[in-house]
Amino acid sequence: MNDDHLLADSVDIGLILLDHDGRIRLWNRWIAQRATRAAHEAEGMTLTEAFGNHIDPRLTLVVREAIDFGWTARLSHALHPMPLPLFPPGSDHSQRMMQAIDVTPTTDGTRRMCLLQVRDVTEAVHREALLKQQAHQLRNDLQRLSRAQEELQRSEMRFRELARQAPAGLFEADAEARCTFLNERGEQLLGRELAHVAGSPWPNLLPAAEQERIHDRWLLAVKSATRFSEEFRYIHPSGRPLWLRAEAGALRDQHGQIRGFIGTIVDITEFHERASRNEFRANHDSLTGQLNRDHFERHLRAAISGAREVTDRIALLFIDLDDFKVINDTHGHQAGDTVLKAVAYRVRRVVRAEDRVARYGGDEFAVLLYEAGDDRSLAAIVAKITHAVALPINLGHCHVRISCSIGLAVYPDDAQDPNGLLNQADLRMYDGKRGRPARAGLAPPTA
Amino acid sequence: MRTFSDLEMDALAEAFNLSLGEAAATFSAIVHEEIELSVPIVEFISRDELTRRLQGDKADQDPTRLCRINQSFTGSDGLVTDALLLFPEHGSLEIVRRMLGDDTPIAHITELEQDALAEIGNIIINSCMSSLANLFGTELIGSLPRVQCSDAAHLLDDKAADNLILVARIGMVMSAHNLSGFVLFLMDVPSVDQFMARVAHLFRLPSAALQ
Repeated sequence: MNDDHLLADSVDIGLILLDHDGRIRLWNRWIAQRATRAAHEAEGMTLTEAFGNHIDPRLTLVVREAIDFGWTARLSHALHPMPLPLFPPGSDHSQRMMQAIDVTPTTDGTRRMCLLQVRDVTEAVHREALLKQQAHQLRNDLQRLSRAQEELQRSEMRFRELARQAPAGLFEADAEARCTFLNERGEQLLGRELAHVAGSPWPNLLPAAEQERIHDRWLLAVKSATRFSEEFRYIHPSGRPLWLRAEAGALRDQHGQIRGFIGTIVDITEFHERASRNEFRANHDSLTGQLNRDHFERHLRAAISGAREVTDRIALLFIDLDDFKVINDTHGHQAGDTVLKAVAYRVRRVVRAEDRVARYGGDEFAVLLYEAGDDRSLAAIVAKITHAVALPINLGHCHVRISCSIGLAVYPDDAQDPNGLLNQADLRMYDGKRGRPARAGLAPPTA
Repeated sequence: MRTFSDLEMDALAEAFNLSLGEAAATFSAIVHEEIELSVPIVEFISRDELTRRLQGDKADQDPTRLCRINQSFTGSDGLVTDALLLFPEHGSLEIVRRMLGDDTPIAHITELEQDALAEIGNIIINSCMSSLANLFGTELIGSLPRVQCSDAAHLLDDKAADNLILVARIGMVMSAHNLSGFVLFLMDVPSVDQFMARVAHLFRLPSAALQ
């Protein structure tokens, strides 16, 4: 038995041998270190005597079954966490050691005995608790991830559908202005598919005159992290000229760096055309298409204030048609209109492109000549106008002729301000009409 | 292969019905849950045939993983048998984790869970064997339970191919869980003869049935 004890004390497992009467025959060192009783005290006691009434009842039952019927049993930690009051060596005995116990029948040669093998499963419990915690964590992470992915997919779908239905062109471009996304409306507006515009900066699609300005504005928006908002001309591949407005806000990466812009493109051609029509109407005479009186005077004032700084001469011509009323009375108002349009057209043809022609009143016209030159060249222009107006005008059913009287005033010779100049030209025009000699400067034309 | 008469097989089924019924009662008491076992279907088949059946028709795809709880028994009169309890691994896990109130998402059974499963198997097998021993009026000494989990194809690799296997298929219903398992007894031919002789004796079958 001594050899048996020596062996039993050297194994790293708890061994308790009970004889046929349930009395302890072996109590190895492993058990002694974890129970509150030494081997020499325990031997001869029953389990209950050795441990008190703190034993899992199932253990008592399976011990009895092993001795009486030769059955074996396992008490797993999961179902019986701590069947015996055993404590980790060196602990304060406040917490039982986690155990698993195997109960096997054995024999001393004549009578059946029972061997209890007690294993410390503390390590395994901690290991598995950690494993389970990690598994839970992993599951939660996966669930979070899959929820986030679902949300991402939903919002992507939402965006895609919105982008598809949007009435405006939507685009996304990187910091170098290369287009990375273009919705259907955007492709329609540009008349190009994303694949064809993706490679190079989008301002390259614009007419040469616009490219540099828009590209600079884009780079400025990137550099200053401000909104990009520009209007520009665009020639649709069909040849139709368009006005487009692009507005875009910055897209940033997780470091706050600008990654690109996302925004809209809107066709503002109609708006632009309407605005320029309105502007033209406000500044021009609707019958002749020449400047109206207001606008002409604005040009005159601007010309004089500009001319004060240089030594240019500026000439103002007042043209009044002689006996225009007769044409109206004889041939009707429509004929009168035809005459007015013809006169305006002819005067316009005679002067240079940069000079201004206006219908000043009913049958009065005014001409503003920049860099007027000397008196001789002015006289030539007056003669040309007189001659051009005097040519027969085709009314459809007949031709009419009409003459005109022209008054000329020159800045700075005749007056220093617009009103003075206008008065002077007006007076000279009337002098001419009444056959009086001109009041100053230029001699009346002798065409 | 030795064949058995209908009478013998009925007697076998009845013997198992009695012993498994007691096993279920013991198990219920331990886990504090109502457990019902269906009447076992009993037959003798070879190891390879059993393996084929365990694999079912999914031999090529996703192999069925099973857990096996094994105890060897030796009778005082020379009867030697291996008692095996087989459950699908997934179902075994469900039962064990349910009993432990655990919902850990780990696909395979852990060491401590295997231990718990060994205890459950031990209770069922012990109870079953003890009522058989009781019925036969003999004593059967058992080894400790061992748990192994593997694909159905390799679950019985350690058993001799020519052994006859007495298979009792049982259905186990535990609260909302349906778990179908097998109780197997692996025996060599002399043990089978001895086993059947005891069954015949128990049910007082005419000795002609054993010829």
